[in-house]
Amino acid sequence: MPRPQPPTITFSIDGREVQAPENTMLVDAAKLGDVEIPVFCYEPKLGAPVGACRMCLVEIEGIPKLQTGCSTPVKDGMVVHTQTDRVKAAQESVVEFLLINHPLDCPVCDKGGECPLQDISYGWGGGKSRFIEPKRHFQKPLELSPLVAIDRERCILCYRCVRFSQEVAEDYQLVLHERGAATYVGTFDGHPYVAPFSGNIIELCPVGALTSRPYRFRARPWDIEGSGSVCTLCPAQCNVTFTVRDERVLRVLARDNAEVDDGWLCDKGRFAYQSVHVDDRVVQPLLRDGGELRPVTWERALDEAASALRRAGSRVGALAGGETTNEEGFLLQRLLREALGSEHLDSAGGVPPQVLHALARPDLQATVADLEFAHTVLVLGTEPVDDMPILDLRIRKGVRRHRVKLAVATPRPSSLDPNAKVSVRYAPGGEAAFVAALTAALFGGDVDGPARDADADPDGIRAVAELLRAGGEDVVVLYGTKLLGAGPSVAPALLKLAGGLNVAGRPGAGLLAVPGGTNSRGLAEVGVLPGMGPGFAARPAGDAALGTNGIAAGLAAGDLTALYLLHCDPIRGLPHRGRWERALDKATTVIAHAQFLTEGLLAHANVVFPAESYAEKEGTLTHPDGRVQRLRTAIGRQGDTQPEWWVLAELSRRLGEDLEVISGPMVSQQLFDAVPFYAGLTLDVIGAKGVRWAETAAAAFPEAPELGAGGDWTPAALPNGALRLGTFRSIWAAPEVERSPALKFLHPRQRLEMAPADAARLGLAHGDRVTVGSDGSAVNATVTLRNASPSGSVFLEDGIPSDAANVLDGPLVDIRKA
Amino acid sequence: MSHTILFADIDEPGLATLDVYRRRGGYGDRLRKALQMPREALVEELKASGLRGRGGAGFSMGTKASFMPKGQIDKYLVCNADESEPGTFKDRELMQKCPHMLIEGMIIAAYAAGANRSFIYIRGEYVQQAVIIERAIEEAKAAGLIGERILGTDLDLDLWLHRGAGAYICGEETGLLDSLEGKRGNPRLKPPFPANQGLYQGPTLINNVETLATLPHIIEMGAQEYAKIGVQNSTGTKLISISGHVERPGNYEIELGMPSREIIYGLAGGPGEGRSVKLWFPGGSSSPVLTGDDLDIPYDFDSMAKAGTMLGSGAIIVADDTTSVVDVALKTAQFYKHESCGKCTPCREGTNWTVKMLERVKSGEATPMDLDIMAGVCENIIGHCLCVLGDAMAMPVGSMIAKFRPEFEEYIEQARAANPWGSSEPPSEALAAQGAFA
Repeated sequence: MPRPQPPTITFSIDGREVQAPENTMLVDAAKLGDVEIPVFCYEPKLGAPVGACRMCLVEIEGIPKLQTGCSTPVKDGMVVHTQTDRVKAAQESVVEFLLINHPLDCPVCDKGGECPLQDISYGWGGGKSRFIEPKRHFQKPLELSPLVAIDRERCILCYRCVRFSQEVAEDYQLVLHERGAATYVGTFDGHPYVAPFSGNIIELCPVGALTSRPYRFRARPWDIEGSGSVCTLCPAQCNVTFTVRDERVLRVLARDNAEVDDGWLCDKGRFAYQSVHVDDRVVQPLLRDGGELRPVTWERALDEAASALRRAGSRVGALAGGETTNEEGFLLQRLLREALGSEHLDSAGGVPPQVLHALARPDLQATVADLEFAHTVLVLGTEPVDDMPILDLRIRKGVRRHRVKLAVATPRPSSLDPNAKVSVRYAPGGEAAFVAALTAALFGGDVDGPARDADADPDGIRAVAELLRAGGEDVVVLYGTKLLGAGPSVAPALLKLAGGLNVAGRPGAGLLAVPGGTNSRGLAEVGVLPGMGPGFAARPAGDAALGTNGIAAGLAAGDLTALYLLHCDPIRGLPHRGRWERALDKATTVIAHAQFLTEGLLAHANVVFPAESYAEKEGTLTHPDGRVQRLRTAIGRQGDTQPEWWVLAELSRRLGEDLEVISGPMVSQQLFDAVPFYAGLTLDVIGAKGVRWAETAAAAFPEAPELGAGGDWTPAALPNGALRLGTFRSIWAAPEVERSPALKFLHPRQRLEMAPADAARLGLAHGDRVTVGSDGSAVNATVTLRNASPSGSVFLEDGIPSDAANVLDGPLVDIRKA
Repeated sequence: MSHTILFADIDEPGLATLDVYRRRGGYGDRLRKALQMPREALVEELKASGLRGRGGAGFSMGTKASFMPKGQIDKYLVCNADESEPGTFKDRELMQKCPHMLIEGMIIAAYAAGANRSFIYIRGEYVQQAVIIERAIEEAKAAGLIGERILGTDLDLDLWLHRGAGAYICGEETGLLDSLEGKRGNPRLKPPFPANQGLYQGPTLINNVETLATLPHIIEMGAQEYAKIGVQNSTGTKLISISGHVERPGNYEIELGMPSREIIYGLAGGPGEGRSVKLWFPGGSSSPVLTGDDLDIPYDFDSMAKAGTMLGSGAIIVADDTTSVVDVALKTAQFYKHESCGKCTPCREGTNWTVKMLERVKSGEATPMDLDIMAGVCENIIGHCLCVLGDAMAMPVGSMIAKFRPEFEEYIEQARAANPWGSSEPPSEALAAQGAFA
């Protein structure tokens, strides 16, 4: 959909001629002429203005009554006054009205010093009150949720939080109770406001009514500093500002970047900063000694690691986790390839590098903002709210405000189903068949056969195809990269989809990946792939280079002896836990960089280097849409932590290879020089908002190989009395969440999602404890019935510390009452 | 100059039934005539009649109908039967005794507006009336007057009755629409006006019961004839509800422009023996009050506006000289405080504050300075709110303070004398002189 491009008009405000795009709301247009019109309720991100607070009253010539600047679109030749006696009287009266019931407890209020009500009272208020009656009283403060405290006495009823809940997050939990002066904000039945994006209401609140419980009374605005960076807790890579006091992160605020996060943050991004300062963080090097990891000096740890690596030589494998920066990944592949002569490294969880190369084509990339303005969006094999939460809000916004037509195709019921024109389910394991059926429905071929193999409704698939074909040219396909691991036919089918829908090179259309790791795209681009160097350059080793699955097999078979883990615990993070247990058991040496000792590291690591948290790091990340973003150091490194680049360079030096880096920015520069399509980037150029290389350096992208047809698909397993196993990773499944005290209550425990019909057949009820087993492995779970769940399949959660789904290999599971 | 149109047969037994209503000319030639007119001509006819909205704002009905966009989109007609303005009970009688007149008017209005779906939003307290209308709708549907191809024309119309839950604000047209949509009944920001984006974002024509019920008569008489009734800019007849200190309270139909004295004293019998009119609300409790000196003002839209008040819903509330103006002000303010939806600041806080101040006046804790603050607060509310509810309190209370200030001051002094230590302010010298502290 073409984005609106209104003509520029000229209007007059307080005697100045100002140019502004036509129909901009007056309060925004006024800013273009350096005139500030005060507002409380107006926030364009919340949707259409409501004109509730009446703070923005202005005088417009030709209109007898004062008008609200927040809801008056500016027109050519409009003459506006904001400084007349009439306007001033109105502004003073609104401030006076707002303050009559607002406690003047600024000295003990968290908002004091950064409070719009305070600022506006000083700037536009009359400076005195005539109100002598008793103020409105409520019990205070109350827990609106474990994360948000509500002080109803301070509330000025601007409606922002309620509008956020109703019109942005669409969780419909916050409502206004009662009416008139007795109105108050709450949830319908008083239950806690728990939702993935609830923390945004704290930032939206223009007074101290909604405050962050973890931040309450921790600091005042004059003893904190703001430090802009990027959240690395999921692939959304939202821009954030860390609030820092005395080298501690005390709060995370959204840093509005319309191309990335649209100014919102999820609660994981907002509150998991607490994990930076917890006691069980690894802050000094650890060495396994007598079966236990014990603190040692850096010198000792580096020596031990270097000598183990020297012994293993080319028989070292390396895995980089999603939170690895481009710089760290780049140095890791240099260490492996140049210092050790090993080609066995991966960051893609087993997806073939050629596939990633082919799908990284710049002309195919859709941007995040395209989700909002496309004609049609297809969400394929991903649950945005879990996998890349902020996109959930973007998609909802597109549907609500720009009438984007949404299609959802996932194995598990999606939270976007209610917003979708078409939703279709396919069986776990039926990904490849489903994609084949979809391409057949679009471009001709047998739909029913592959649909049957995917256990999907062929008419639903046809409906999705119809929407994609007829809905308009700008189609965005948001796909989970988990799909790519489902078989060699998936990526060619996706490319066929993109080709057939003519999205290549079309602004506003394309593919957008939701990868498994925060920086998966960047790591692929800087060469942390088997057989591919920086910039997707083919390595001579070719297919002999082992990827994730090959490394596991190689270790188990004794072909590899050492494993280097950069921000990665395969036991926690990768599928097939049993296979990795065997591999790590056999490995002679396991070297890890980690902030936390997760299960796999605790049991198997020989050397653990303390890793920087995202608030300590500097470097770059690459967003799934190709935007290179910059991480900036917000606080000093905790304990004895050293930067990863230094550790990697130091190890390399001890192995006889000088990587010639003595600072973080030097690594960045080396990396920009090594990746052809990053050429010309500098940290300054990337700046605060990032740079999309697909827009600036597409020509330097090396041509991707043809993938071929990829062959046939394997049908999804037939349940035959058992049930298919599907897995998902919730937004809350992260070591950072587990360790943040404020988020502890959200920490997931294993639950088995199933259809009521299946449960009835097995004699199970909601809340029953069950054992879910396959192939001799089993996990315990609590039955959770979901009406929308497709029968024949069950879903277990992955990425959690105990009873995680990766214990089970599937594809079928047996369920017994525990 | 009594002229009855709407109430001509109002006390006819059985008028609420389709048979009797038909015998009285309902759904007959006039409806056929209306539906056979080209739509534009019908709208022109309504404009020419000069009919102004009977709900309170007094906007030209025909002009409002002409704002409805053309084209094949879902359009709606909504009848505002929320009649929640204190003192107003005319629609109640009309709906109770002659529901078919409203339905017939709605058919005509729907045709004029190009709407195929229509709603009657009736206040929750009107239980009996809702039952009667529901029955009338059933009758009309059975007779083919509501449904597809009404009277063999191309007009399809569906009609639903929706009962409110008793909030004053749901009589405000956009609050009504929100409530009808199932939301909290809060007024919406205007523009967009309902004619552009109303119910379910579709163009919507909203009219009062009496306005709609007048339409069949305009068609029957012809706009020119109708416009001859009443006075310039206030054509036709008006149903008025008189309550308060009069001998014969109730609903009357008058020709607009009738002198107010004739209504209050002539029709309603005036206040009781030996009493006189002290103040009166000419158009519901939200109109600025008039005094006994204003009884010769003609009762029509323009004359009332000239007198600084409004004809509103046509509800005259009379208070005689035994009434304390402070009581009237407090009761009025309390009502609006209770009914304020709380969405916009001046109304939510201003009504609340005014009540608190008036309560202090009553309890002897106020000083004359509070009257200035109260007047200032009313001034700060007027014209600054999202809808007119705030103004609806500020205008009458403000007018009472302006017109009866000496009485307020006297009241304050007496209340303080009765409660000398109630106020944080030291008692005035005047009180001391009266020997209040002796």
